[in-house]
Amino acid sequence: MPAWGTCLVIAIVAELVYFTLTTRQFAGHGTGMLDLTEQFAPTGVLALGLAMVILTGNIDLSCGANASLAAVIAGTVLSKGGDPVLAIVAAIAVSTLFGLFNGFIVAFIGIDSLLVTLATQFIVTSIATSVAGASPPFGFPSAFQLIGQGSVNDVPIALLIFLVIALLVIVGVGYTSLGRSLTLIGYNPRAALYSGIAIRGSLTAVFTLCGAMSGVAGVLLAAYYNSAQPDIGTDLLLPAITAVILGGVDIFGGRGLMGEVVLAVFLLGFLSQGMLIEGDSSLSITMITGLVLIGALVIKVVFERNFRERMTARMQSLQTLRPFRPPQGISEDADG
Amino acid sequence: MPPRWALLLRRREILVTAVIVIVVAGSTAAHPYFWSSGNLAFIFADSVVITFLALGESFVMIGRGIDLSVGAIMGLSAIVVGFRIQNDGMSLLPAVLLGAAVGIVLGLGNGLLVGVVRLPPIIATLGTLSVYSGLEFVVTNGNQVDTIPSSITNLGSHTVLPGVPVILLLTVPFVLVSAWVLRYTTFGRSIYAVGDDAEAAYRAGIGVQRVLFLTYVISGLFAGLGGVAFLIYTSGASSTTGINDNLTAIAAAIIGGTALTGGVGGAFGALAGSVFLTVTLTAMSFAHVSDVWQPAGVGVLVLLAVVYDSRARAGGRRRSASRQRGVR
Repeated sequence: MPAWGTCLVIAIVAELVYFTLTTRQFAGHGTGMLDLTEQFAPTGVLALGLAMVILTGNIDLSCGANASLAAVIAGTVLSKGGDPVLAIVAAIAVSTLFGLFNGFIVAFIGIDSLLVTLATQFIVTSIATSVAGASPPFGFPSAFQLIGQGSVNDVPIALLIFLVIALLVIVGVGYTSLGRSLTLIGYNPRAALYSGIAIRGSLTAVFTLCGAMSGVAGVLLAAYYNSAQPDIGTDLLLPAITAVILGGVDIFGGRGLMGEVVLAVFLLGFLSQGMLIEGDSSLSITMITGLVLIGALVIKVVFERNFRERMTARMQSLQTLRPFRPPQGISEDADG
Repeated sequence: MPPRWALLLRRREILVTAVIVIVVAGSTAAHPYFWSSGNLAFIFADSVVITFLALGESFVMIGRGIDLSVGAIMGLSAIVVGFRIQNDGMSLLPAVLLGAAVGIVLGLGNGLLVGVVRLPPIIATLGTLSVYSGLEFVVTNGNQVDTIPSSITNLGSHTVLPGVPVILLLTVPFVLVSAWVLRYTTFGRSIYAVGDDAEAAYRAGIGVQRVLFLTYVISGLFAGLGGVAFLIYTSGASSTTGINDNLTAIAAAIIGGTALTGGVGGAFGALAGSVFLTVTLTAMSFAHVSDVWQPAGVGVLVLLAVVYDSRARAGGRRRSASRQRGVR
């Protein structure tokens, strides 16, 4: 098991034990913890979509707003008397389209994804606010609410959806050729190009997938809160990015394991829910989340730097034992 | 050789100013009230806060960084200064100094994380954004600033000349000083060098990490001053002040011609970009476009600015090329 994943598991166990001991309602005879997961399942779905994008060295700032739009569209269809299935399909279809739009501009026009998704984030927010209108839809049929609030044998349906998606993403990114190509594109786009990977196609696909998963997150949100405010998903962007980074994905792409992102989602989710139950306000939880992010990264960066220095020292000692003579005309001064 | 005026249009701040004139002329033709002292003063006063944020953001972005926490710094400064004005009757000059101090301290946090610990700026400032907006909530403790004496808020509404509010005159010196620092000082030039190619800058003997560190402190300083400007203009502040201004500030800087890929941009661009944003959004509401579509307006403008700018398109490739060279 990777070192970072082990750290995350230890941290999760530690925080679960801590909250169980200090807060009586937290464990709730075992099912309490499970119930808490349905509150951060949408963030988790969003984080997984974002993780794939970040793995390629890009970023999607619009995914939170996209989730809001999906929630609003699902809510509007439902409030017009539409079928829940139709509502879900419409919501996910629209956010998939915006994902495709992002991917198309990034991959085929070649504009930095930070700029593109910064712009689409604004545009999608406007559309969501406009569709929601002055009185955003609320009060959905119970069949729809089940997605966000129901449970099978005490296991929340939202958690099941998150776990299924997590499994698909872990397998898809880790063990399929498309998934492996994402990592390579992030690590070295030129090498990816020369090894015959369809970079533009893969980038478009990954942004589209991220859009689709924002749609799922939006549907989960609307079903959980039984209403569709036009900013319902926008606030999830920062927690989602935090989960991805805490999950060890390199912000410049090319490195990261989806399994660790899933662990980070649980770590952050239980942390914020535990603190909420303890009576902290949601904004001081934001502060703690930020501190956790910075702290984890500082540890990681320092750890990796020491490791690299040790490796460099070892390489140098090898070189002094058996001096390497470069051919004439090639600079010895290669960058590390 | 293209004619002289065409060369001038290649300077982004001049191009944006030209577009501002066109938008203003068009709106005035449709709605004569647009060209009134009151409305022009409103536009300038409204753009001052974003000008400050975009100014600081420009320093950071020229050095190929990004500061996502400027909005939160601005909010915290507005809250801290606002409570002192409201409860202790602080006057304007100490208020400005206090705002600057708050900004510098918070900017130091970013500077340490990026310049010393060497975290990637987007993550470091994302983390401090969470921390600072949490702090906003802790500091306000459920209260809000709502009684700023009119001797201070008058600066935002009174005009010296028709259409020119006092607060604009207080802002312009900061823009001029920034432009001078960026263009004519060794420090300013080294920001461009670091943003253009950090490794080349390092080999040329520039203390890359020190320069980066300072850009974040400067960004904090301007965000702190922006907080005071916010108080003057809106005469209040709450725990959510500035939450939506991070991305708007970046948008204004980008529209003003500062590139995320570093090495390009300037102080006048920040001013032109934020005035342009306000002018266009005001023109939209004059044209009876619902306020709901204002964010979309910002988004479309950013997209247009980026598509227009061919340098942004090379950005993705350049960033990855520098990565292969081993620069952060």
